[in-house]
Amino acid sequence: MQPSPADARLQVRDLHHAFARHRVLQGIDLSLHAGECGVLLGANGSGKSTLLAVLATRLRVQKGSYQLLGLDVRESAEEMRGRLLFVGHHTHLYGHLTPLENLLFFADLQLITASEERLRAVVAAVGLEKFAEQPVRWFSAGMRKRLALGRMLLRQPELLLLDEPYSALDRQGVIWLNQVLQSYLTAGGMLLMASHDPERIAALPHRQLYLRRGRLVQSLEDEP
Amino acid sequence: MIKWFSKWHGVVFVATLLTLLTGLWLVLSAPADYQQGDAVRILYIHVPAAKMSLLSYLFLTVASGMYLWRRQEPWDILAEASVSVGAAFTALTLASGSIWGKPMWGAWWAWDARLTSMLVLLILFMGLMALRNALEDPHKAARATAVLAIIGAVDLPIIHYSVVWWRTLHQPPSFAGPAKQTITGDLLPPLLVMSVAFILLGAWLLMVKSREVAARRAWETLETERLEQSHG
Amino acid sequence: MSKLLRAAYRIAWKDVVGDWRRRATLSSMLFFAIAVLVVFQVAFDPDRLEATRLLPGLLWVTILFTSLMGLGRVFQAEEEDGALEGLLLSAVPRGVLFLGKWSGNLLLTLLVELALLPLTLVLFNVDVWGQLPAIVGILLLGTLGLTGLGVLLAAMTQTARSRETLLALLLLPLTAPLLIAGVQALAALLQPGGEVEPWLRLLVIFDLVYLALAPWAFGWLVTE
Repeated sequence: MQPSPADARLQVRDLHHAFARHRVLQGIDLSLHAGECGVLLGANGSGKSTLLAVLATRLRVQKGSYQLLGLDVRESAEEMRGRLLFVGHHTHLYGHLTPLENLLFFADLQLITASEERLRAVVAAVGLEKFAEQPVRWFSAGMRKRLALGRMLLRQPELLLLDEPYSALDRQGVIWLNQVLQSYLTAGGMLLMASHDPERIAALPHRQLYLRRGRLVQSLEDEP
Repeated sequence: MIKWFSKWHGVVFVATLLTLLTGLWLVLSAPADYQQGDAVRILYIHVPAAKMSLLSYLFLTVASGMYLWRRQEPWDILAEASVSVGAAFTALTLASGSIWGKPMWGAWWAWDARLTSMLVLLILFMGLMALRNALEDPHKAARATAVLAIIGAVDLPIIHYSVVWWRTLHQPPSFAGPAKQTITGDLLPPLLVMSVAFILLGAWLLMVKSREVAARRAWETLETERLEQSHG
Repeated sequence: MSKLLRAAYRIAWKDVVGDWRRRATLSSMLFFAIAVLVVFQVAFDPDRLEATRLLPGLLWVTILFTSLMGLGRVFQAEEEDGALEGLLLSAVPRGVLFLGKWSGNLLLTLLVELALLPLTLVLFNVDVWGQLPAIVGILLLGTLGLTGLGVLLAAMTQTARSRETLLALLLLPLTAPLLIAGVQALAALLQPGGEVEPWLRLLVIFDLVYLALAPWAFGWLVTE
């Protein structure tokens, strides 16, 4: 039974994460509702990427709890991976495969059944139809980023985690991405992104979350 | 755990020393074997050392399994320490077997099934050390060595039986290996005392090595933090 | 279930197709195998009778060294643009990922063996053509376990310094039973009255143990 998008929720309670004795996250409380967009702001090393990696189930939850759509990460990590999409600094693309093949690979590993027309439609939607049959190796950073982000069009994820999504995108790319994200949010998806430049996100309705030394704080103004 | 080791390792050391001296005195005062002569005395080192090699590996397997399950650092420290201890005992087993073999077989080495298995065990211990050293990330190193230790634990019996089959089915053994000698009567008390001494020695080595590993890791953490702070 | 198999197949497909398009591993493995054969011939210069006696050991040693070369590259493909992270974020269990990587490597290794075998018989002038199916069967049994253990060790040493040396150091002692059983099985096959069966049993035991253990071990290895 698919839970309807209306009760789709993310809940994080008292989340901690440490690399050896180096504490990176020190008690994060966070929740997101359907159609909500949170933007993580904070200096380098404040824990943004670690938080996203834990939410993407890439890193184990060491202490605290994390639930997505009522699923607990300690029991149903695989199922959660099927419901969320993470696009970070890496695009996870294979250079020797074409955009179509890369999407097919992604679909099969996410257990999504996608017809060739569907794959071609996605490639067209990210503006790469002219290059659909060429190995990704020759693509520019911006083209790769578009393709990586285009994965969300294959099947709407319930939670979208983006780490610096605007980097490598040109002005048109930014406009394109904001449109895609806008319709994603309207359809009831949850979005959490880490970003350095609040200007580009201004087009989207969002809630700002300030992260400092592994804790969510009220503002970043008294940053030393 | 490390604190407990720090408190007790002195006591264990004294106990080891006393048992070892008693054992050696018994070994040297026991009569020479009518067939093997004085060479038999080496077996009092060889046999307990071989037992301790296997015991170390067993301990390593348990510590590795516990680490993978609970992900608590002390288990990994114990695993790292038991690799060193096990390697030392295995090397001692091979060296003493070889010294025994020279007068008995007329050669330093024979491809006897047990010696061959022991040699593979030594290479495996070396591999575990090399793997830990070669991985930069300490967590990854801990996971990888734990998995390798468990694979080795499954593989070692297969290795042992395949080597035994190989040596017996292929060409029958022309001479008995050092560990196959049966020791009875007067020779039993020194062996028992030496076995106890080696168990104590193993425990003491494990405690000392664990302390060293823990101290080195604590120092490395401090060093990283100092570097991070000086870079802002 | 079929979706999980499809995911494993897609990983193997990606590796084999990638290898084919770049002409990378397959050809270099094959040429390396030929080089090893030449070295053997020059070093031992066997006559026809000796060659028949040496053949089992020679075949297995060549296969072992050649597969080491292929194994060194198994996870290199996943270093490209965070691909391994992408795999770990997919919705399939880790054991399925292993199954995919393993079957890709198995296929490449078997292809090399199929080319190597007739070449060896011709170059060493050994007339055992009548036994060819049985020889292939024994090689197949040995290769199953060899690549299963090998791919696991390749994952283990992927980010290590001087990983190729380390891989050899770990693989060679652990495959001792395989080498013994494989060589003895071939030797028993090629001499009249030889008993093949006990060695086949040992090969099967080795295969079963590793194919049962390796997917789990891979999961423990990559879970951070």
